Order: sequence, then structure tokens, then C-alpha cells
Amino acid sequence: MNAKVEKRNHTAPLPEITAGKTPAPRRTISREGRARRYALLFVLPAFLFLLLLNAFPLGQVVWDSFHYRNMVNTAQQGWAGLSNFAGVLHSEIIVKTLWNTVLWTVLSVAGEYIAGLVSAMALNQPVRGRAIFRGIIIVPWVVPIVVAGMMWTWMLTPEYGVINVWLVKLGIIEKPYYWLGEMNTALLAITFVNIWRSFPFFTISLLAGLQSVSREVVEAAAIDGAGVLTRFRKIVMPQLKTVSLTLIFMHIIWTAINFDFIWIMTEGGPFHASETLPITIYRYAMKEFDMGAASSLSTLMLGFMIVVFSLFYFTTMKKKQEA
Amino acid sequence: MVASRGEKRFWMLLTYAVLILFSVYCLFPFLWMLVTSLKPTEQIRSVNPTFWIDHPTFKHFANVLYHSKFGTYFANSVKVALSTTVIAIAVSIFAGYALSRYGQFRGVKSVGVAMLLSQMIPGVLLMIPLYLIMKHLGLINTPGSLIIAYTTFMIPLCTFMMKSFFDSVPMEIEESAEMDGCGKLGTIFRIVLPVSIPSLIATSLFAFVNAWNEFMFGYVFINADENRTLTPGIMLFKGLYLTDWGSISAASVLSVLPVIIMFAYMQRFLVEGMTAGAVKG
Repeated sequence: MNAKVEKRNHTAPLPEITAGKTPAPRRTISREGRARRYALLFVLPAFLFLLLLNAFPLGQVVWDSFHYRNMVNTAQQGWAGLSNFAGVLHSEIIVKTLWNTVLWTVLSVAGEYIAGLVSAMALNQPVRGRAIFRGIIIVPWVVPIVVAGMMWTWMLTPEYGVINVWLVKLGIIEKPYYWLGEMNTALLAITFVNIWRSFPFFTISLLAGLQSVSREVVEAAAIDGAGVLTRFRKIVMPQLKTVSLTLIFMHIIWTAINFDFIWIMTEGGPFHASETLPITIYRYAMKEFDMGAASSLSTLMLGFMIVVFSLFYFTTMKKKQEA
Repeated sequence: MVASRGEKRFWMLLTYAVLILFSVYCLFPFLWMLVTSLKPTEQIRSVNPTFWIDHPTFKHFANVLYHSKFGTYFANSVKVALSTTVIAIAVSIFAGYALSRYGQFRGVKSVGVAMLLSQMIPGVLLMIPLYLIMKHLGLINTPGSLIIAYTTFMIPLCTFMMKSFFDSVPMEIEESAEMDGCGKLGTIFRIVLPVSIPSLIATSLFAFVNAWNEFMFGYVFINADENRTLTPGIMLFKGLYLTDWGSISAASVLSVLPVIIMFAYMQRFLVEGMTAGAVKG
């Protein structure tokens, strides 16, 4: 803001000096016009990338979902109406897939939030080596998902996997268990790994929120006799509300659409036990080459995202109005 | 704080316990991977796995480096990530400058909003149409397809980072340069960029690491071995070596190395970037 005011002050005396040569109004307009030209020129490349590789493909997905687009069976072409949607919604595994997606998303985000909150509160205490602990906790988030997936797959293997060996030794399980290969644990095991990888993001964001909580207020409450739990509930949590809401909504979307982890660790198996929507979309597109079906699922997902997004938008807007 | 010494002590110990527990949780998989990559095969297949390595060996590293396509994958990843970084930064410098200095124009403002929204579009949704587009352009199976896709995803993030850096460069410097007869491009390249070099490096590293770590598009777009990047390559090792976890671990260690080195440098920027512009997780 300051800079803008400054600029006006500089240009204001100019008309008087140059009055004889150039008409004053034209000069200010051309200056403004030149700035506008530069501005548009500078955003043009970024705009083109957005238009051609984000907006256009997104439109294409919606368009394709109403058309027959089978890469193998090219006999059927053209307008398909809602038959792609009907096809994917009537397939045997769609209920399983949707349930898996919900389970995977809810468990992941809940686990990430709890782990993030606990670690952020611990990091907010005045202890030695805070920077080191913070550095260590951020590590899982930096490593490629492939590498994280491979490491955990190795630790979870029934043959010589370290987790199985130790659990057997501790007497918790009797014999090594194929965590990623059994129908009832595959998705849960990947969820656990996903929490491991994503919670640092929560830690860092929540830590920033915690640091803005005033120490004086907390101390005053303590003097007035508020216990640890009361202080946490009545003073700390309200301060974290906005950042928490944003984190949770963003991660609901990011987790629901995550393809990498599940594909790397189980490819959606065994028998679709860990298959979520992105895996189904991939299967339709790259295994069955039915781009129409894949696009219709993508369109449904886009609709879901828009719903979540507007929900988030309206809840935060309402909050702002109330405040 | 009103608390007895005993109570204080209890919370202190609890805090340390929580922090140490989380550190073990976060670090253990990496340490285990490192240990596995250095162990001889007989020790990897032991029912009593330990952190202690009796006879450390570089056999697995040699196996990965000399008897697999690892070198090719690595070189491809470097090529793709570097090109992505250069193009994304070149575009973002100008876009970020416009957002920072010309935010009052409606066109600039709407591009900014569009960028923010584009951050919310999941890659899976774009996978199919982008695949078809690349196929039409004949770019499937070439590094070009990945470079274009990654650049698109990196531009909004880099633009926001550059914008916030440019915001901190005082307008007065630019004005005096303009007074001295420096053109707009001259002002950017001679005045604004030199002052923001550390930020420029941070943004570049960010783009590089993100492109380096990407998996899905590399997996979908590239089928030919000679153009494959590292992340899908490592997943293929699993099928190739079956249960040779020593070699898989060695490949993982080697592929994480560049990221770790950059991470050491950019840690402080990373925290800022994570909280400033939303990063895809």
C-alpha cells in the first residue's frame, strides 16, 4: 500500500515540469496503459499453461464422460448420454470401492490430525533440541512416496519382515501375518503408512497455530484455577479452529484422490480389498482402456470435490459473519 | 505457571517421551532401509533381525548400479526434474512479479484466483485427458510429456512463492532504476532478481524435489525403459528382484540421496513454503 502512495507522489509533479511538451493527462494514461500491457504479458505464459493443461483437460473429462471412448472397441462412438455413469454405478465393485474410499479417507485424516496435534503440542513445549525433533518429524513428508511405500512393504512382509518378527517375539501374534495380502488388513495397513507419511504436514501447520496462542492468557487461566484439560479445551482449541478446519478439508480431498500409496503397496488388491476411487479410475482407463467409464467416474469425483469445497467455503463464510 | 515441581517434571518427561516416540516412528523406516541395503543377503533373511551388521557389504549397491537400468532412470529423472524447474521458474518469475506489482488489474487478479483453484484439482482427474492429449501430440513415452505436465503443476506454487518474495522487495529501488532509464525487463533482471537470489534458489529446489518425487504421471506416461524415471523404476524393481530387498533398499537409498541433500539446505524455506502456499501432499 505504502509503495503505491509513494508512486503517486513521484508522478504528481511531473505534469508541471513537462507541461510545455506533452499534455499531462495523456502521459498518465499511457503510463497506466504500459503497466497494464506488461502485467498481461507477464501472466500470459502462466495463463496459457493453466488454460491448456488444467482447464481444457478438465472440460475434456466432463465431455468424455457423456461419450463412448473405448480405445480397444472403437466400433461404438459418439454421444453416450448417461450410459457411462450407469455402467460404472452398476458395476459389482463400486459399492466396495466407495466404502473403501470413505474408510481410507476418514481413518487417514483422523489419524493424521491426532498424531499432528499431539506432536505439535509436544514441539510447542520449551524443551531442548526442539529444532532437531522438528527436523526429524518432517522427514517422512519429504521422501518420495515410492520409497516410503517400498520401505514399509519390506518391513511388513511375512518373510523376514521386521515388524512381523518383532510382533511374534513379543507374543502379540502367533505367526507372521501377511498384512498387505489379507483382505481384512490390506487397507488398514496402507492407512497406517499414509498417516506416517502425511502427519508432519499437520504438525507444522498446527505448530504455527499453537505458537500464536498467547502465553499470558494461558497462564492467567492457570492462576484462575483452570486445569490442563480445561485450558486446552477453552483456550488452545478455539485458537486452532481455523487452521484445523482448513487442514482437515484439504486433506479429505487430497487423501480421497491419492493414487500413489495404494497402487505402490497393493495395486488395490487382494481382490479389490484396498481399491479406492482413483485406483478404479486408473483400472478403467489403463487396463480396460474404457476412457468413457474412467471419465464418468472422474466427473463424479469432481462433483464430490466441488461439494466438499463449497461446504468448506460456506462454513468458513458463516463463521466470519458470526464473528 | 502454577504447578508444583513434581507436576512440571511429569509434563516435561511426558513431552520428551512423546517426542522421542515420534522420532523413532519417523526415522525407523529409513534407518532400517539403510541397514538392509548394507547387509549381506544371509543376514537380511534372518529370523533375528538386528541393527548390527556383521559384514557390511556394498554388493547390493554394485548390483543396482552395474546390473540394472538404475543409471538410466536416474539420468532421466535428473533431466525431467531439471527441465521442469527451469521452465517453471522462468514462467513463475514473470507471473509472480505481475501478481506482486500489478495485483490491482482485474486480469492479473483472476489469473491468481485461477492458480489457487488449480491447486485443488487432483492429478487423477487430469490423468486421462492429459494422457489422451499427449498421445495426440505424439509425446507419450517421451520425457517431454512429463516435463510439460510437471511444469503445469509447479507453476502455481512457484508463482505464489515468488510473489511473496517480490512483495518484500521495496518499490523504491525499482522506481529509482526506472528514473535512471532502466526498462521493465532490465529492472527485473538487474534489480529485483539479484536481491531475491536465495528465494529463487529455494523455489527452484522446491520445484525440483516435487518433480523428482512424482510417481503417477511418470508411471502412466512412460512405458519405454530408456525414458523411464526413477520413481516408477523403483516400483518395477519390486517385480524384477522379487524378494531381493537388499537391492531394492540400495536403490531407494540412492534415489533419496539428492532429496536429502537438498532438504538439508532448504529446511527453513520448506516450512515457510508448506504453510504459505498449499502444497499437494
